[in-house]
Amino acid sequence: MLNDFELFMPTDFNEACALKANGAKPVAGGTDVYVNMHGGKKEADQVVDIKNLAELKGTSYTAGQGLVLGALTSHRQIEEWDVIKKNYYAMFQGCSQVGSVQIRYRATLGGNIMNGAPSADSIGPMLVHDAVCVVKGPNGERKIPLDKFYTGFKKFDIQPDELLARIEIPDTPANAGSAYYKYMRRGAMDLALMGVSAYVELDENDVMSHVRIALTTAGPTPMRSYSAEAVLEGQKYSDEIIIAAAEAVASEGKPRSSWRSSAEFRVRLLHDVTIMVLHEAVKRAKAEDKAQPIKQVLYKGQQGLEERPKVQG
Amino acid sequence: MKDIVVNFTLNGRQCKKLVPANKTLLRFLREDMYINSVKEGCNEGECGACTVLLDGHPVNSCLVLAAELEGKTVLTVEGLTDDDRLHPIQEAFIEAGAVQCGYCTPGMIMSAVACLNLYGHPTREQIRKEMEGNICRCTGYTRIADAILLSVEKMDAIVAEQGADVAFRGIDKNFVEKWNASYEVK
Ligand SMILES: Cc1cc2nc3c(=O)[nH]c(=O)nc-3n(C[C@H](O)[C@H](O)[C@H](O)COP(=O)(O)OP(=O)(O)OC[C@H]3O[C@@H](n4cnc5c(N)ncnc54)[C@H](O)[C@@H]3O)c2cc1C
Ligand code: FES
Ligand code: FES
Repeated sequence: MLNDFELFMPTDFNEACALKANGAKPVAGGTDVYVNMHGGKKEADQVVDIKNLAELKGTSYTAGQGLVLGALTSHRQIEEWDVIKKNYYAMFQGCSQVGSVQIRYRATLGGNIMNGAPSADSIGPMLVHDAVCVVKGPNGERKIPLDKFYTGFKKFDIQPDELLARIEIPDTPANAGSAYYKYMRRGAMDLALMGVSAYVELDENDVMSHVRIALTTAGPTPMRSYSAEAVLEGQKYSDEIIIAAAEAVASEGKPRSSWRSSAEFRVRLLHDVTIMVLHEAVKRAKAEDKAQPIKQVLYKGQQGLEERPKVQG
Repeated sequence: MKDIVVNFTLNGRQCKKLVPANKTLLRFLREDMYINSVKEGCNEGECGACTVLLDGHPVNSCLVLAAELEGKTVLTVEGLTDDDRLHPIQEAFIEAGAVQCGYCTPGMIMSAVACLNLYGHPTREQIRKEMEGNICRCTGYTRIADAILLSVEKMDAIVAEQGADVAFRGIDKNFVEKWNASYEVK
């Protein structure tokens, strides 16, 4: 049994805000909150289930403008949407690797952001796609770029009476490509030991622009690596410049040691994974069909995610 | 603690119940509805032994509140059997030797139903991906994938014999269409 709480399931947005301001714990998919409660953590005396709020719903794409994703959008919806594979491939890679099928049907993008875990798989990809958070309270809406939204470990630019309402992500031009790599110890159901996301636009002379790189599990919050982006911006694509960017990432990332791995190993991974992910983003920027997987091989003999072992049968 | 009234459909039957706010769907199904196929393994979303279909989608019932059930439809293995006949997926699990201790099996079967809603004729790789949320300590998974492939053959054979209108419990031919309707593209 979960610890005792009073449950509210409002359909009125302002009612939900008032409950949250009063200390009630918002719950969307519950895949973080209820797990914590099962673990014995008393989250709050009151829980407000926000799944019935129309303001948090809707999943739409407008060509030339981009995505509007209600905070309740599930990882599964992102994973199964062809628009995402075509224009936002890193988001497909991030969201399709969250937990399991069962988790992804329930778990929401809003919950992934607001749980604040540095290992959150959807955040790096959303950071490199320049996502904007729209928070909403009784006094209206505020738009905050996702890279400004985190103010510290599990801290956000959000008021007690505000909820994250939706996420807006600009459309991508035809010369753009993105990629995410999640380093885990097994092929499913594992948190990112470390991850890197990249987005790049490439002109006809292979000059890179709008370069964005984001790091997962490399600090107290998901983060951009601005120094590495600066190394690449306006430069021609080459092995040397990618290595220089990887070195910048490795010195900017500040991973911690944990039972999953040492900080040293994570820094080394940051370096190597950045190289692979940048190459992949550039390849995708050049590709005709951007929805096609590009094999991710970090070390010799590795089975890439899209290339699962062929089993006889 | 305040109890909440919920009206829902469980395995095709309309139900109305009073539930405590903090009761999980898993405990509710086992303790109040006598649905003992759903198993508690980890209670934190890792093992999939508690998988049920909620409005057609596989979910970990240990992470869902019973209080959320208003207007919803729940399907468990008990809802797959047609009178005395097992579902082709159940038959296939037995024939392929996909069951050892059996603790994971009800969850596996519900995930298999979900997999077959998404892909009518899944490849072995697709099966492995769709079944990633269900852990089995006994079988080594190969025979579980075998069973799902066998169940597809069985259902194809029944369709060939009885015509395309034949329905299998839990299998929703319009699943993908309904799912795509949740996106708006302008
Ligand atoms: C078995 C398992 C495996 C997992 N694997 C992964 C993984 O691989 N990668 C990964 O990134 N995560 C993983 N997770 C964590 C979790 O599934 C994700 O973080 C998920 O996106 C959380 O979404 P939710 O809707 O379930 O959040 P909830 O649990 O409902 O909420 C999470 C937090 O966000 C707050 N919140 C939610 N929505 C809003 C809103 N709109 N406005 C304000 N606050 C809000 C809640 O109050 C709470 O603090 C896993 C979880 C489990 C149980
Ligand atoms: S008991 Fe629910 S996933 Fe393990
Ligand atoms: S048959 Fe024993 S856990 Fe799967």
